[in-house]
Amino acid sequence: MAFLTAVTALTSALLLVQSPRASEYQVKAVFLFNFAQFVDWRPMAAQDPRAPLLIGILGDDPFGAILDETVRGERLGERPFEIRRFRQLRDIEGCNILFIGRSENDRVEQILTALAKRPILTVSDGDDFAERGGMIQFVNDKNRIRLRINLEAAQAANVIISSKLLRVAEIVSTPKR
Amino acid sequence: MTLTRTLFLITVSTVVWALPARAQQRDSVEALKRLSLDQLMNVEVMSVALRPQRLFETPSAIQVITQDDIRQSGATSLPEALRLASNLQVAQVDARQWAISARGFNSTTANKLLVLIDGRTVYTPLFSGVFWDVQDVLLSDVDRIEVISGPGATLWGANAVNGVINVITKDAKETGGLLVTGGGGSELRGSGSARYGGEVGAHGNYRIYGKAFSRDPTLLPNGQAAPDGWHMGQGGFRLDWDTPDSNRLSLHGDWYDGRIAQASPGHIAVSGGNVMAKWAHPFSAKSDLTVQAYYERTHRDIPGTFGEDLDIYDIDVQQRAAVHARHNVVWGVGYRLINDRVVNDTTLAFLPPHVARQWFTAFAQDEIALASDRLHVTLGTKIEHNDYTGFEIQPSGRVNWTISPSRMLWAAVSRAVRTPSRIDRELYAPGQPPYVLAGGPGFRSEKELAYELGYRHQQGALVLAFASFYSRYHGLRSLQQVNPPNPTPIVIANGQDGESYGGEATASYRITDDWQVRAGYTELRVHIWPNPGSTDMSRGATESRTPNRQLSLRSSLRLGAQWILDGGFRYLGAIANQQLPAYTELDARVGWQPVAALELSLAGRNLLHQHHAEFGTPTARRGIERGVYGMAQWHF
Repeated sequence: MAFLTAVTALTSALLLVQSPRASEYQVKAVFLFNFAQFVDWRPMAAQDPRAPLLIGILGDDPFGAILDETVRGERLGERPFEIRRFRQLRDIEGCNILFIGRSENDRVEQILTALAKRPILTVSDGDDFAERGGMIQFVNDKNRIRLRINLEAAQAANVIISSKLLRVAEIVSTPKR
Repeated sequence: MTLTRTLFLITVSTVVWALPARAQQRDSVEALKRLSLDQLMNVEVMSVALRPQRLFETPSAIQVITQDDIRQSGATSLPEALRLASNLQVAQVDARQWAISARGFNSTTANKLLVLIDGRTVYTPLFSGVFWDVQDVLLSDVDRIEVISGPGATLWGANAVNGVINVITKDAKETGGLLVTGGGGSELRGSGSARYGGEVGAHGNYRIYGKAFSRDPTLLPNGQAAPDGWHMGQGGFRLDWDTPDSNRLSLHGDWYDGRIAQASPGHIAVSGGNVMAKWAHPFSAKSDLTVQAYYERTHRDIPGTFGEDLDIYDIDVQQRAAVHARHNVVWGVGYRLINDRVVNDTTLAFLPPHVARQWFTAFAQDEIALASDRLHVTLGTKIEHNDYTGFEIQPSGRVNWTISPSRMLWAAVSRAVRTPSRIDRELYAPGQPPYVLAGGPGFRSEKELAYELGYRHQQGALVLAFASFYSRYHGLRSLQQVNPPNPTPIVIANGQDGESYGGEATASYRITDDWQVRAGYTELRVHIWPNPGSTDMSRGATESRTPNRQLSLRSSLRLGAQWILDGGFRYLGAIANQQLPAYTELDARVGWQPVAALELSLAGRNLLHQHHAEFGTPTARRGIERGVYGMAQWHF
């Protein structure tokens, strides 16, 4: 007699054998941390090689302490990681990666326009973020995190994304008007 | 003895355990940081409200074969893919027959394993085993194959005595576009398939597929080709709807038709089909209801032996519900009706030739979270009623203890039964009286009591799993002399008892993002003896034909963006009661993906020897030959 429990109890637990479960923002925090290794900010070459690599959060912060926990003690080359929360758009300074919280969903275009051409990797899990001109969008698909990358947006800002990252992502472009 | 040890270990572990939650979170972040991008994308995430922190929690010996594993291994059939699970004993018998089992008791009519394809039970009520030649799927549509060794009877049902194989195909949403595959070579003479998927309305997706293959014969002991070459065609469809209010509806079906050569008198003809509907309805984030119903028809005509037409009707209902914060309850009921018509021939007979039988089942299980979600106790039982033995009860108790996010210990005690099938009660030989074998009018269920203990550990890119078991069997199938010492007639009875024990270990290590190696090792002993008064002195030679140990090593290496190189080595110990020597073999595959839409591959199977045997007594065994084939796959 076939019973469907595969669908619930077993299946849910079974996948853990291969891939542990984790909270959504734990995984997204690790992605943000990993992005630093797969992204090259061209104009940054001139910067101090020991200046902190700055991950900013704009709007409501969904990570809590998780993101700080994730980058604590980590370095990219000689650069330590630093997390900074920004209340307002004009506060953003010296940021390498900017995570835009869902609270900013309505004004994403406005934010991106203001940031245009600055070498900042923009990341969000807001709706249609990549189509709207953001660089990397997190998408939840069947309880897994997928990446959508707007390559044109990154190139326009001189942010070079490694092919290793592109390989696992879905490439989208801003619809022409 | 094993139970005492298990309880002791649990007690000790419970006393010792104490870790602050903060350290736990830190541990899991560290583990996530060591994952590659690909692995990170495979981590299942959950919103905290749904089911808090369920890391590494499966309290059973499970291995999962993924779509990538299947594709990269170059497997061309379901049994070949099942070789990737080292907790299974897989032996190719001839061109079409396979003996597949878990924890021993292997044979071509192995009867202690439950096999499901998308929730459909594929073992035949004729002998409680699987006709592997007609269990096919489009391998590129398989999402994963879950292989559980050990009893799964409480949740799964009466045949899950020593294991469950659960083949799960992808949602139609994930198989859009046109996929065309074609190729051939030696052994796999030719194979081709096409699948097309698209959308139906705003919330639905569909796919249709067709496939066909032709396989070469194996070798007779004298070195000549055996008359067992065969060819087969199969087609099917799947529809999936996700309604806006989160109901899920699936409808799928398959049809197949094949011809298999045999020595005489004429070809074996197989054909059949199935259609299934499944509906899942969520009440809340913590509670849902699933209903599935299917119909399956199979036809098999083996001229000179028997012919069979079988209809199966099956319906299952299951509900999952979180009761309070600590209890996760799953319960369900099921009904199954078979209508089996056998056409008897000269060599054997099923009497009566035509039977209709039904099964009623009910099960309930409660998973209880203890010690702030670090310890889970799962208690459950299945109650089943069948037309042969009436009510059967199959309870189990399982404990899993999350020592840390990267370490998990589990233990289980289960009772399972293998209920009679037609072959146990109704098989007569020869086809007409006087019978040498006169059925098994008194055959009852075979009973098992199993103790298991397992441990899993993840250390960065290294994942280790270990499971050990001890099982005791009562009333295993035997052949009894009716009037000893006269050798005939004989009847089928429950005249043997037995035990099995052993361990299954797996290790997987990701050396770099592009290179992964895996190893699997299984050590297994099966002892069977006649119980008091029994005249069966075979010591289980007809019930279990299994090597004492097996080892598999696999490597998967990606070279740049275009090339992928895979190798799989296996060692299988001797099968003592068949005088079958141990053997080693190697499979290899190189895949080249010049553009995203096209993959070309060259695969070799059983490369180490011109031919080798995996199963059978010296006069009956077949030589499995080395095979090399090329394959091309386009995805538009």
